[in-house]
This record gives sequence, C-alpha cells and structure tokens, in this order.
Amino acid sequence: MAPGRKGRIIRRTIVIALVVAASLTMEITGFIATPEALRREVSWTTLHTIVPLVFAACAGVAWAIGPSRLPARLMVVFPLVWIPLSFLRVIEHVAWLWPFVYGVHLWWAVLTGILVLLYPRGRLIDGVDRWIAGIALVTSVGYLLGVLLLGQPSPAVCDCTANPYLVADAPGVFAVIDVGYRLIGVLLAIVIAVRLLVRWVRGSVPARTVAFLMPIALIAWVITLATQAAAYASGGADLVLDTVSLVAIASIPVSFVAGIAHARNMRARVADLMRITREGADRGLWAESLARTLRDASVRVYWWDEERARYADASGEPLDDDTPAARRGDHGLLPVSSPTGMPIAVIRHDRVLTDNMRLLDGVSSALRLSVDNGRLRSEIERTLEQVRQSRSRILEAGDEARRRIERDLHDGAQQHLVSLGMRLRLAANQARDRGVEPLGVELDGTIMMLNQALKELRELAHGIHPSLLSSGGLALAVPELAGRCPVPVEIDVQPEGRLPEVVESTAYFVVSEALANVAKHAQATRGWVRAALVDGELELVVRDNGVGGASAEGSGMLGIADRVDAVGGRFRLDSEHGAGTTITVHIPLAGFAH
Amino acid sequence: METPERPLRVAIADDALLLREGIAKVLADGGLEVVASVGTGAELLQVAARGGLDAAVLDIRMPPSYRDEGIVALEEMRAQGSTIGVLLLSMYATPEYALRVMGAGSGTGYLLKERVSEPQTLVRAVETVASGGSVVDPEVVEQLVQRTRADDPLSRLTERERSVLELMAQGYSNGGIAQTLFLGLKTVETHVRSILQKLDLEESPEHHRRVLAVLTLLGAR
Repeated sequence: MAPGRKGRIIRRTIVIALVVAASLTMEITGFIATPEALRREVSWTTLHTIVPLVFAACAGVAWAIGPSRLPARLMVVFPLVWIPLSFLRVIEHVAWLWPFVYGVHLWWAVLTGILVLLYPRGRLIDGVDRWIAGIALVTSVGYLLGVLLLGQPSPAVCDCTANPYLVADAPGVFAVIDVGYRLIGVLLAIVIAVRLLVRWVRGSVPARTVAFLMPIALIAWVITLATQAAAYASGGADLVLDTVSLVAIASIPVSFVAGIAHARNMRARVADLMRITREGADRGLWAESLARTLRDASVRVYWWDEERARYADASGEPLDDDTPAARRGDHGLLPVSSPTGMPIAVIRHDRVLTDNMRLLDGVSSALRLSVDNGRLRSEIERTLEQVRQSRSRILEAGDEARRRIERDLHDGAQQHLVSLGMRLRLAANQARDRGVEPLGVELDGTIMMLNQALKELRELAHGIHPSLLSSGGLALAVPELAGRCPVPVEIDVQPEGRLPEVVESTAYFVVSEALANVAKHAQATRGWVRAALVDGELELVVRDNGVGGASAEGSGMLGIADRVDAVGGRFRLDSEHGAGTTITVHIPLAGFAH
Repeated sequence: METPERPLRVAIADDALLLREGIAKVLADGGLEVVASVGTGAELLQVAARGGLDAAVLDIRMPPSYRDEGIVALEEMRAQGSTIGVLLLSMYATPEYALRVMGAGSGTGYLLKERVSEPQTLVRAVETVASGGSVVDPEVVEQLVQRTRADDPLSRLTERERSVLELMAQGYSNGGIAQTLFLGLKTVETHVRSILQKLDLEESPEHHRRVLAVLTLLGAR
C-alpha cells in the first residue's frame, strides 16, 4: 500500500470517528438533559442516533469508490448538522451558541437533497439541479440569519436564555420565516424527487434493480418533510410516520453507495469485454462475456455466416425469427455491421435491455472491434500461411528442378558422351588395325579431350545436385562435402536413416555454404560438422576454430538464414572475434513428405 | 589371374541401352562371353540365380529409384552366397560408394563409366574381379588422397611410397605395382611393408582385405 493512501485512510478514519463522537454526544447529552416527561421514546431516539452513523459509514465507502469526493464530504458533514432538538436543552443557557445551533438544525435536509441530486455522477449535472441546490443553500443561510436576528426560544423546545443577537421582537415575522423555510424545503424536495424518479425510470434496468432503494427513500423522505412540516404546524408528531422517515433518510446514503458500486462493477465488466476483444477471444467466450456484462443470460450472439448467407451462433444454430418468444416480442435484435456495411452479427437480447441503448452501443462497438480485429488477424495469418507455403513450394520446386536437370544430364548427355568415347576408341583401334597410326593417335587425343569434358560435366552435374544426397542421404553426402573442404573437418552425422527430401537438401545447402565460408574467410585449421535428431528436429552445428567475426548480413549467412527460414527452421550465428564461428540450425521434420 | 580355357561368362545390367550394347561389344572384343544384358538390378539377380556366371557388370543408378540399385544388387548377391566378380560402374567417382562396394567382400570393383573408352582397363577389371581381386577407379583414389586431414598419416610417407599406396588402393597386386612403376618386385614389397608399418595397417595375406584397409584408412583420415 502506498504511504499516501495509507495516510489518507487514517485521516478519513479519524474524521469519521470525530464526527460520530460529536453526533453521539449531542444525542446522549440531549436525551439526558430532557426532563423525563418530555423525552421521546427510547426506540425512536436509538433510531435517530443510528441515522448519522449510517451516513458516516457510507461516507467511508463513498470516499473509497465514489466518482468524486463531494458525496463523501456531504455524508461526513451530515452527522454534525443532524442536531436533535433535545440538544438545545444542553446549551439552553449558552446564549451566544443556541441561536446558531437552532439556525442550522434543519440543514441535514439540504445536505440530503443535494446528495440525492449528486447521484450517480458525483456532481450536479444540469442547470436545474444547480438552481435547486442554490435556492436551498441561500434559503438555509437566510433562515440562519432569521433565527439569529428574530428568533425567540420556544418554551416547547427549551428554556433558553434570551437571544443576544435579537434586533427586533417580531414573533409574527419569525413564524412566517420559520414556516416559509420549511415550505420551500418541502417544495424543493418534491421537485428533486420528481426529477430523480424520471431519471430512474429512464435509467438502465440493471442500475434500477440495484438502486431500487433510491425512489423508495425519496418518497419516504418527501413524506417525512411533509410530516415534519405538518407536525410543526400542528405541534404534534406521529410516531409511525416519524419512524418511517428516519429509516427513509438512513436508506438514502446506502442506496447512493450501492448504486455507484454497481455502476463501477458494470464499467469494469464492459472493460473486461474490451480486454477480451483485444485479446482476440473466440466467439463462444465472447458471447459468454457479453451475457455476463449485460446481466442477461438469454443473450445470444448470431454471427454472420458468409458462405450460407445467414446468421448462426457459435455452435452453428441459425437465427430463427419465428420462435414463439420472437413473435411475442420478448427479445430485441441488435444488428451489428462493419463500417463498410458488411453484416457482422446480430445480438439477441432481452427486450428490457433496449432501454439501455448506451450499454448496447458500447457492446456493439466492442463486437465490431473484435470482429475487425479477428478478421484482420485471420487475414494476416492466412496470407502469411500462403506465403510460407508458396515459399516452401518454390523451394521444393527448385530442388526438384535441380534433381531433374542432374538426372537428365546423367541419363542423357553424360551417357551419350561416354558412348561416344567408346565408339571413338573402337574407331581408333580399327584405324590402328588398318595401319593408319596417325589417325589412331588423333583419335586418342580426342578421347582424352572428351574424357576431360566428361570430368567437367561431372563436376557441373554434381554442383547442380549431388546425386550422393539423393541416393545416400546426409550420412554419405556430408562426409563427401567435408572431404572437398581444404580445411580438415571432423564429422559426426547421427541420422543414419533418410530424412524428408527438403530437410536433407536444406541441411546439405547449409553445410555446403558454411564449409565454403570456413574455407574462404575463417582462416581456420579445423572444422566440425555435427548433425543429430533432437526432439523431432534436425540439429546441425558447423563450427570452426578460425578468426570469427562473421556477419549475419553477409550473403552466405543470409542465404543460409533464408533457406532455413523457408522450411520453418531456426538459424543462429555465434561468431565473436577470435572465438571461431559456430552456425547452429534447427530444421523441423514434421510436415514434410519423405 | 587365370588364363581362361573357356571365355569368362559375363552379365551386364545398365538401363541405358546404348551403353549396355557398347559395354557388351567391348567385353566381347576383349574375349569375354556376354551371356545376358538386362536393364535392372532385379533382372540381373534372376540371371545370377540361374548360375554359370563368372562376373557381372552393373550400373549403380538404375530403375526403379535411380539411387544405388547396383550396389544393392551386389549386396543381395553376396548375401545369397554368390562369389562371382562384380564390377560396379558409375557416372560419379564417389569414395563413399567405393568403400561400400569394397565392404561387400572380395571380387568387387568400382569404376567410372567413362573407362569404357579404355577397353583394356574395363576387360582387365572384369577379369580381376572374376578372379576374386579388387578394382578401384584411380579418380576415387585421387579424391581420397587429396582429402585434407589434420595430422595426416600420409605426410609420413615418401613420394614413392605414396605412388605405391595409390596403386595398392586401386587394387593392384605387388606384381602389378612393380610392372606399372617399373620397379623390381622386391623393391615394391619393401615399400609396401614400410607403408603398412607407417600407417599402422596389418599385413594381410588376402589381397582384397589389403585394398579395403587402405581405402578405409584413406576415407577415415
């Protein structure tokens, strides 16, 4: 936990504790100071004491999760202005204080009203709300001034000493102020209640279900104010109504906190949906998350099936517009299409969710994003796979072409030249038999030239494709390669059997290129070639004890890397200066035909 | 080497008709009797199974797979107990194949195909393998000798000993080496002993094993 956060929590706890202590002090001292005959019932007093405690507790929660600090601050101030009238008896002889206390003893109602207006954003949303709050505050200050300047203690409340701030003895004017203030309070409360009810009715179903306390609390609160006003006018109080009003007031901060907690939860789940979207979840998981987000288990997502030109869910069940439920209109259908107008999916949801268009909008955006992501990803994957396959095919075709050329040379030109040599020999022999020695000598020379040509052709054919690789595999072809290298090379070729053709030709190419590098650049005195099968892969290591410093960007190394890459293998070059050069290649065997 | 009372009976296997006929003509001109001329190793095996053959001349690359059918046929014959001379012909001089051919047992040879333009070489090779001797193409030996190895044992040999060794590897007998290099038989025998000693090779009375040992040494350096 961060120290700042810890300090904040301690500060808030202390504030709440002080406020609670102050509130309890007022209640208890007031109860004790009231003569027994005038005391209210203990049960009522207890309930009256609990109300500020509930506010204080909710302040703690609101501080932690609230959209702003204002609601929490209002809740924490509430216990201080929740002043029982009985407390006046405690301070009845403190002349300078009691008018102030009396002047603010109804401010809790103003705080509560503003608190309700703050729901659920934590701030006043529009001008009407600000007007209501402004009027309430101005009249409250006015009432405080009225009490200070004109207030006379009522014997029913306390045996207060004379008001030291009194400027005029005008009980009639003060009574008008007193009643007027309460009337304005009731009117404002009714306006607030109506606004909130309208907002609640228009609100989203899930929010409504959790914050159901709010309208009840509001109604009870309005009744309370009306009752209080009536009780004040008539001078009596109804115990049942009073009790209901206390419960209603206590339930306001509770429903406030519960509502914002739920909204928070909801936002977190939409965020979840976005996260799942970003991670490219499969369709089943997506539909499941959607149902969780919307709190509607009946939500189904039907995806557009391009081939069959219809919507179907993840398990392949098509969208049926003709079910009894659909005919009854229990479900709403939300079509989602891509920015280019291509159909993506249809979300079938409970009709009541239609009210919550903002949520559905967010959901369909997430879905659009998800599908676009998925489409792009699969398109890239498909393209990449095509490129991979075509590269592999080109490679195999190239290998095959070289093999064919070598075979054509072997079966064609080479055989013909060999036959030709044979016939020339026969001709030479015949020439000698007939005593034409110079012709014989001439033909001998021709045969020698022919054999030289054959030797060159043999080298050429070998360069195009080593027949030894086709017939004997790496176990024969690698030693033969090593034998051609001017640097002595130690060989350890484990794969005795034959490997897939592409793997063999790639490995041969790698060893051939690597040994060419050893011969040309490494200045090595020894080389090593190792080939082994490790975990379904051919592992090739070509090492030398030369000067090192080979660059992976050199044409030879690039050629090796490209070739290995084309068969899905891995290439690694270690060539520090002075530490020799090691080329390590892994070629997977899977996926290639023998 | 026997002087045949009757001509040596030879079978030829090569999928190239032109060459097959040419080889048959060269061998016939050399005084051998060509009793069969076929296109695959399998067919040659059938001919050999009928008996009465002294030697066979096989192309290495033949149908069906054009890989090493000739050597496979040789190994098959040896596995069945046939001891007739077998001469393998190849378009390439491949030491690895030469070793495999020698490894199949005595009376085997490995020659480049272009040697058919040297009738004496071909005929003599057939006669050598028919009599249980060994023949290795000089180009193969040349390749093996040219191979470079660290702490090469060949560096211990003198120039003359190297020449002798190359002929030993080609399958020449001491007498043949003496004739080729214009040396006395005693001198050649001295060289051969010295070579075998320097290369840590055992003196083998059997001519073929000597060739195999030399080739193996050259290939394994």
